[in-house]
Amino acid sequence: MPQTITDIYLPRQARVKQVVVENSQISTFVLVFSDSQYNEAFRYQPGQFMMVSLPHCGEAPISISSPPTRPGTIHLSVRRAGKLTNAMHGLRVGDSIGLRGPYGRPFPMKQLRERDLLFVAGGIGLAPLRAVINGCLDQRDQFGTITVLYGSRNPSDIAFQDDLALWQKQGVDCRLTVDTAETGWDGAVGLVTSLMDELKPELSRSTALICGPPLMFRAVLGRLTTMGFRDEQVLTTMERHMKCGVGICRHCHMDGKLACVDGPVFSLAELRQLKILELAE
Amino acid sequence: MPHTATTTSSHLLKKDHLKGFLRKLAKEYRLVAPVRNRHSDVLFTVIDDLDAVEIELCEPPQNSLKQFFLPQQEQISTYTITLEGYDFRPTQTHIPPTVYFGVHPCDLSGVLYMDVVFSRQQRDPFYLRRRQGSVLIGVNCNSPAPNCFCNATGSGPFLEMGSDLQLTDLGDRFLVEAGRTSGHALIERWQGFFSPSADKDRAAHYQTFLEARGRFSRQVHVEQAIRRLEAGTVPDEVFAELSLRCQDCGGCAYLCPTCTCFTISDQQLDATSGQRLRSWDACTFAGFTGMAGGHNPVQAKTGAIRQRFIHKLRDDVRLNGRPSCVGCGRCVSICFGGTDIVRFVERACQGSL
Repeated sequence: MPQTITDIYLPRQARVKQVVVENSQISTFVLVFSDSQYNEAFRYQPGQFMMVSLPHCGEAPISISSPPTRPGTIHLSVRRAGKLTNAMHGLRVGDSIGLRGPYGRPFPMKQLRERDLLFVAGGIGLAPLRAVINGCLDQRDQFGTITVLYGSRNPSDIAFQDDLALWQKQGVDCRLTVDTAETGWDGAVGLVTSLMDELKPELSRSTALICGPPLMFRAVLGRLTTMGFRDEQVLTTMERHMKCGVGICRHCHMDGKLACVDGPVFSLAELRQLKILELAE
Repeated sequence: MPHTATTTSSHLLKKDHLKGFLRKLAKEYRLVAPVRNRHSDVLFTVIDDLDAVEIELCEPPQNSLKQFFLPQQEQISTYTITLEGYDFRPTQTHIPPTVYFGVHPCDLSGVLYMDVVFSRQQRDPFYLRRRQGSVLIGVNCNSPAPNCFCNATGSGPFLEMGSDLQLTDLGDRFLVEAGRTSGHALIERWQGFFSPSADKDRAAHYQTFLEARGRFSRQVHVEQAIRRLEAGTVPDEVFAELSLRCQDCGGCAYLCPTCTCFTISDQQLDATSGQRLRSWDACTFAGFTGMAGGHNPVQAKTGAIRQRFIHKLRDDVRLNGRPSCVGCGRCVSICFGGTDIVRFVERACQGSL
């Protein structure tokens, strides 16, 4: 008799419980699987992603922006970028979507224990790091100092403002910068790397976690190296086009590695082994 | 490499008995074999009437077995949008048990490679359902075609393992080796067609192998290209030069027995329903790695064609200990830009290592 094989490509229905508008381009969708038993048992790790389906739009990988310490809902923070993400922004509370996952290698949370954590993000890049930050805050005594550097295009573009305000209250050193100031903005102006000048991290116990657009990524890597961070102390999560999410279709190839199963989280030391455009000379 | 085939039990099948044997198999299985059609093309074809077709075991078929296990396009689910919401239904594939007859060593190696691809990370239900209940009857290659180089990829011209039954043409008869328990069962079941092989048959088998090995017209230094890729000594200019001539047609990937990259897309059927399709894709296509919003993390052409060759000749060697090019030569025949894998190997090997 042929054995039954689980259909790894079949999405499950989930419903939108809440939509948090983060800025004009980014919203956070709070999702719950319709099958309550499945929802209750569902677990994931920070850095993992879901394959998201919307009617007639196919699928896209979206990183989970909520921490594993708060099971029961999945947060997906999404920037309008293409057909599927634009359709997502039309979702209202109660609407249904398709989900499968979680997939990918998460951030190594155990290795981060006792360490001072420096988060550097630009724009939507804060979404996957938000899962780590909130996870750390939920187990505050297990981690050292937490610093968040966040760059946005302009003040009205600053996303995750509720989170940033809450983190500040919880003792996180949050520093913001914008590319272009607007009337009323008295904060920093310039690249997120300019915020790094003021930092005096204790290198022996620090790990940097970074995520942002390619230009920011390269600038931050350069600055971290100058500051004395070793490549093993720098973690990031890579964005790639994906179709299967499980290591078969190969759309997310990265010079011999696949972002979906070997990543999306990589240390800079691992990335340096690869010939990828992000690190090209 | 086969020597005298004394280690595996072998039998004889007289050529006069072949049709009778296939007729018996066709009663219990769907039969797929290389058939010469009225345009004189040789293609793996589903055979409904054995008497109406000409099975061609020598000339390599234009298609491989890939399409039978990974169709060019297949439905993987359907979805509806109703008052209950957006819901997916699994697609059931019912593939009859199939005998694939007359499979050359290159294509057999292709199937064995796909078995790894579709079960290593995750078990792919659509591939595995098609593969379950399939019987592979191979035929060794006595006279490799002009573009063949399976001798350089370790996948031919003779194979001893991998198939259920492996045939070697000895003129008026086939030497039949049973590689698996399932192969032994086939011989036992229809033992009337088979007779024991003698020493002289096994000697003829070895002689045939030696002759076949000497008939390759191409010398392709695959091993050297593999070493140079691993050592990182293939200059970027090689990829740049090949990518300039690549016309982005995907022909190499479609014909390749081991190119399994695919895309998934939705097709709307009406206002409230649609189907999800999986289709062949090619890593050389400029849009293969393009992301929403237009950013492409892979340098459009150079990086794409590099991916094709490092995947087959470096990354799969790292993973499986052997390249995933099986030396069938199909990409050499189809590529009008001259950017096939043989051209790459030649360019990669130029200069001193």
